[in-house]
Amino acid sequence: MFSKILIANRGEIALRVIRAAKELGLKTVAVYSESDRNSLHTMLADEKVCIGPAKASDSYLNIPNILSAAELTKADAIHPGYGFLAENPRFAEICESSGITFVGPQAAMIKLMGNKSLARQEMKRARVPIISGSDKVIEDLSEAKKIAKKMGFPVILKAAAGGGGKGMRIVRTSAQLEEQFNLAQNEARSAFSDPSLYIEKYLASARHIEIQVVADKHGNVLALGERECSIQRKHQKVIEETPSPFVDERLRKKMTKAAEDAARYIGYQSLGTFEFLVDEKKRFYFMEANTRVQVEHPITEMIYNVDLVKEQIRIAAGEKLSFSRDLEMRGHSLECRINAEDPETFSPSPGTIDFILLPGGQGVRVDSAAYQGWKIPPDYDSLIAKIAVLAPSRPEAIRKMQTALEMTTIVGIKSNLPLHLTILSDSDFTAGRYNTQFMERYQTKNNNHK
Amino acid sequence: MSDKKIDYEEITKLVSFLEEKHLTHFELEVEGFKIKISRAQSAPPSPMKIASQEVSSVEGAANSAIPSGPVVIEEENHLHFITSPMVGTFYRASDPNSPPFVEIGEEVKKSQTLCIIEAMKLMNEIESDVDGIISEIYVENGKPVEYGQRLFAIQLLVV
Repeated sequence: MFSKILIANRGEIALRVIRAAKELGLKTVAVYSESDRNSLHTMLADEKVCIGPAKASDSYLNIPNILSAAELTKADAIHPGYGFLAENPRFAEICESSGITFVGPQAAMIKLMGNKSLARQEMKRARVPIISGSDKVIEDLSEAKKIAKKMGFPVILKAAAGGGGKGMRIVRTSAQLEEQFNLAQNEARSAFSDPSLYIEKYLASARHIEIQVVADKHGNVLALGERECSIQRKHQKVIEETPSPFVDERLRKKMTKAAEDAARYIGYQSLGTFEFLVDEKKRFYFMEANTRVQVEHPITEMIYNVDLVKEQIRIAAGEKLSFSRDLEMRGHSLECRINAEDPETFSPSPGTIDFILLPGGQGVRVDSAAYQGWKIPPDYDSLIAKIAVLAPSRPEAIRKMQTALEMTTIVGIKSNLPLHLTILSDSDFTAGRYNTQFMERYQTKNNNHK
Repeated sequence: MSDKKIDYEEITKLVSFLEEKHLTHFELEVEGFKIKISRAQSAPPSPMKIASQEVSSVEGAANSAIPSGPVVIEEENHLHFITSPMVGTFYRASDPNSPPFVEIGEEVKKSQTLCIIEAMKLMNEIESDVDGIISEIYVENGKPVEYGQRLFAIQLLVV
């Protein structure tokens, strides 16, 4: 096992990793930018090092400064959290060559899954179902036209190097193709310095369901059920739950097997998530794999009663998987992402938290780096708290979440608490009848206000 | 002093006395009249809680010079601070057997090398971006520094 771990991240996920590390008996090192001087992770770690100015590219993405901090503090492992350097294969490579363990999969895995087009081809070879689309990167518009005509509209253009919804365009008619192709290409070029695109059939009424996988360095692979993430806005998840109200035991078996097969085929060795689109007929298609801990990992931890981050650290240290194959889902879990944003316009609302009261009680879990008097820096994402609940059934979990959110008080900044309460009482949500289009009804409503 | 009350002039004198003696805090009580004067300390930010680092031998040629990090100018004292532009190990000389680049009281010119910060096995020369006199060196040779940490205070030459 390691003796000291540096957490190359901030906010709630930095605290999550600090907790896991302390429970494992490891010393912790926080790194921070100048605008995070008063952020909680700097106060709760054993040591802290300032690595740069507010701008993420000069601090949380500054590989030389982060590695120097690890070297100076004699940390023997680096946990990247999510975002920032978590899916940067070069960073994973440099860590390894500096003799510091990167808590994540092998750099080659990050590289493979980072290229959405290559990942598709590899999954096809692993016999995991993929959405019909171009087998390779499409070179030009005429090729795009040909493929799109063959598949039939609507289609979706995606950046090969993409993620986070950038370089992604839905095309509904052939007349739109040219314009959208150029836009997607430009977006991909500026966001990822790689204009390569590929085309997929667009599934309009699909669900976004992902499978959590844990694999060690000894060939053991285990899938831990699904997370239903269809409640999303602009490819950003808002509420997640497990089990999915749509997934039955038969589908769950098929999907977990597909994810385990995929992880085994590529030789994956860490915590990872395989994302699938599931259509109305319960057919599922591989979308992408995330080679890191997910924001929504707490709901899986709650229904399986496990600690994924501790397991991820143990695996990185070379230990065998400690989870048994007999692990069973117990109850129902939901997570709401509380963001510092206007609940109607969705625009970010940074500022000082004058007062905050977060919920508690049996079956309620809060992951947050917020505190009273904390000035939320405008430089990073707007997530201020993740509230998760565990209850014996889905209706009870929803009721518990409503109770928890009603007791939550945040003064000084705007938050999306009201939006969550609206969704939780939406009859389609309570009936479990929803897909990735669900949030559009709220956006349309808001657009009418303008 | 007992037969006259403290006036503006007296206070000004006290303040300059404080500055002259590099004091940060001063209290005086005369016949029920109490005065407390304190001034901001130009001390470095709290050091990292890092176990002292062994001074590794300085190897390899010095690399291209790096401009220093964000600088703070205290207009009143004509003090200019050179801060670390990166995380690394601070060295006052180009190798363990050479004399330090600069000492307190020494006059430095713009672009003159003040120290080296070793990061990722590379030696980064940190240059002065002003003309002046070194009035403070905040870090010991061989100690780790973090981004934005004060390295030197330079007394600007008043024209």
